[in-house]
Amino acid sequence: MPTTSAPTRYSGIAQVFHWIIAALIVTQFTLAWMADDLPLGARKLGLLARHKSFGMTILMLAVLRLLWRMFNPAPPLPAGMAKIEKILAKISHTAFYVLLFAMPLTGWLMSSAKNYSVSWFGLFTWPNLIGKNQDNFDLLRATHEYLSDALFALAIVHILAALKHHFWNKDDVLVRMLPFKKPEKRR
Amino acid sequence: MRPCSMILFAAAAVSAANLWAAPVQAAPMQAAPMQAAPVAYNADPQTSKLEFVGVQAGAEFKGVFHKFTAAVDFAPDALAASRLDVQIDMNSVDSMDKDRDTTIHGSDVFDVAHFPTAHYVTKSITKTASGYSAVGSLTLHGVTKDVPIDFQFAALGSGAKLDGTAKLKRLDFGVGQGDWKSTEWVADPVKVSFSLVLKPKT
Repeated sequence: MPTTSAPTRYSGIAQVFHWIIAALIVTQFTLAWMADDLPLGARKLGLLARHKSFGMTILMLAVLRLLWRMFNPAPPLPAGMAKIEKILAKISHTAFYVLLFAMPLTGWLMSSAKNYSVSWFGLFTWPNLIGKNQDNFDLLRATHEYLSDALFALAIVHILAALKHHFWNKDDVLVRMLPFKKPEKRR
Repeated sequence: MRPCSMILFAAAAVSAANLWAAPVQAAPMQAAPMQAAPVAYNADPQTSKLEFVGVQAGAEFKGVFHKFTAAVDFAPDALAASRLDVQIDMNSVDSMDKDRDTTIHGSDVFDVAHFPTAHYVTKSITKTASGYSAVGSLTLHGVTKDVPIDFQFAALGSGAKLDGTAKLKRLDFGVGQGDWKSTEWVADPVKVSFSLVLKPKT
C-alpha cells in the first residue's frame, strides 16, 4: 500500500514537460511533411529552419526533463496491471526518452554533415558537430527518418494505451497526466 | 609695394638658405611623389583566397571562389596610381554543399549561364589608421555598383600579401530573384574576404 504522501498524479512540472514536448513533436511532424513535399527553394529552407529551431528546443527540454525526472520519479503504475504490462510501459517510456534525444541529435548531426549550421530562431547558431560529408549526411538522414517512423508508431501505441487504460481498464493512467482535472476515484 | 618686396625677399632668402643648407635632400623630397610608381603584381592562383559569408536561415555559411585572377598595382607611396583589378569566375563558386551550389549557380541567384564573370576594379585608394581603404566598382550579376573595401598590405621579399574585407548587399546586384528576393531566410548583407599572395609581374 502506498503511503498517503506518495504521489498518485504527475506533478504540474511533469505535465508541462509532457504536453509542451507533445505539441512540439506534432509541430515537427507537420513541418517535416510540409517540407518533404516542396522542391529545393526558399520555402523549404524556411520550413526546415523552423523545424531545426523547434528540434533544438525539444533537445533542450529533453535535457531538463530527464534531469527533473531523475529526481522526481513518476507516480507508480496502477497495482492491477500485469507484470508484463508494467514492463512494456517501462520500455515504451524509456524508448520515448531515447527518441527525445536521438531525433534532435541525428537532425543536428545531419545538418552538420550537410554544412547547413543550425540556428535557434536566428538568435544564435549551434556549432557543427561533425565535418561536411555527403555520405554521412545520407546515412544520418535515413536514420533520422527511420527514427521518426519509430517515434510515430510509438506515439500511436502510447495514445491507444492511454485510451485503453481510461476506457477499458478504467484506471487513472490517463487522468493523472491531464491538467485541470481532479483525480477521480479510480483503481 | 614695400610689403610685397619684403615677402619676395624673405622667400628668396629662405630658398637660398635651403639650397645652401641641404641642396641634396631638398630636391628628392619634392620629386619623390612624382617619381614613385606602384609595383605590378599578380595574385598567385594557388595560395590566394576569395571567400564570402552569407546568412542562411539564421546561420552563417561560407562560400569560396576557386577561380579568380587579381592584378594589383600597389605601392604605399603611390596610392594615386595603385589599383586592384579582380576577375572572378562565377562558375567556380563553392559553398560546400551540392544542393546549395546548384541553387547559387541557378538563374535565381548568380545566374552563371548569363553572368559567368564578376569584375572588381578600384577607383581610389586611401590610407587609413590601420591599413588602406578603397572604393571600387563591382560588376556582379550584370549590375555595376560601388563597393568599398578595407585591406592591409605587407611587402614580403619580392612579393606581398594583401588581405582585406568588404561588405555588400546581394540585393543591390539583383542576386536573389523569385523566392530568394526575400531576406527572411537569406540575409541581404554578405561579407567578403580576400587574402592575396602577390608575386611581381614578370
